[in-house]
Amino acid sequence: MPEPAGSSRAQRLLVRVLLALRSEARSRPQSLSDRARAEALADRIMLELPRSVLPIGIAALFIVGVVCLMPIMRDAIAAGSDKQGSTVASVVESGLRNQGAALSDGIGALREVVAPFAGEGCPSALENCPHDAPPCDAAAPFSRS
Amino acid sequence: MLDAKTERLTIEKARRGDRDAIAALIHAYQRPLEAFLFRLCGKHELAEDLAQEAFVRVIKSLDRFDDQYRFSTWLFTIGKRLLVNAQQKMKPTADSEIVEYRAGDARTPLAEVESAERVERITTLVDIAIGALGSPQREIVLMFHQQGWSVQRIGEELGMPEGTIKSHLFRARRRMLFAIEQSGSPNPSEVLQ
Repeated sequence: MPEPAGSSRAQRLLVRVLLALRSEARSRPQSLSDRARAEALADRIMLELPRSVLPIGIAALFIVGVVCLMPIMRDAIAAGSDKQGSTVASVVESGLRNQGAALSDGIGALREVVAPFAGEGCPSALENCPHDAPPCDAAAPFSRS
Repeated sequence: MLDAKTERLTIEKARRGDRDAIAALIHAYQRPLEAFLFRLCGKHELAEDLAQEAFVRVIKSLDRFDDQYRFSTWLFTIGKRLLVNAQQKMKPTADSEIVEYRAGDARTPLAEVESAERVERITTLVDIAIGALGSPQREIVLMFHQQGWSVQRIGEELGMPEGTIKSHLFRARRRMLFAIEQSGSPNPSEVLQ
């Protein structure tokens, strides 16, 4: 239902009403009571702010705890890796032994091949080896008198 | 109210936990927010409590505030949401019940220059005029006439085209005019002095 346009008197009252409405929201910088209320609320908020920081503090404590526990954890990890290391070492050692055994087998095989040529008719290569004689004998060109 | 540059600097300081900056923000917007919420709910104590709660929430979440927007818009939006939540928890207030504004309240600027009796008359008229409005007209009138927001800003805040806001304002003023006429209001010469 459309309302009437209103008399000039009512219109002037409406303007007054709207001005009064505007004045309600106007902040007053000089008002001591308004300032006191704002200060009190700011203090309250400042008191409550650390509570919101609490989760961050807990997280920081957790990080500190982890850092402190790191040496212990490192030792535990090192102990675990030592076990693994000894296993690896034993595997390597046995591998080396096998290789050594194979090498000695090879030397034996070579000796077997060389043996026929090392008979009596054949001078031993070691016989003329100067290392068998003492250095003073080896150096002397003539037999001693 | 703070100008845009001062507001931005104050918000920056408040973000770093500067107590004086927080107090400055509250001081600048406490009264407009309380007046806005009071005219929406009609209860002084509730409006003050909700305004305080809105400030607590806003300042605690200042890190999330986007500088592209107006601080007051954000603050008023949170205040309005708190009011809606509070109203859902309690019995709704009928428009006719909104005659609670105390005459001669020391916080009313008019009280400083006019007599308590005249303030009471004009306050009663404001109650009647605003009480005649429903949603969203009341909110739009308060944003425009009480808070001094532009039509564009109100449109952005409420998600309405500017034409719709203007239309609501026009209808709201007619409705308030009608309510004033019907109220048997005091002699305008007394009020307008």
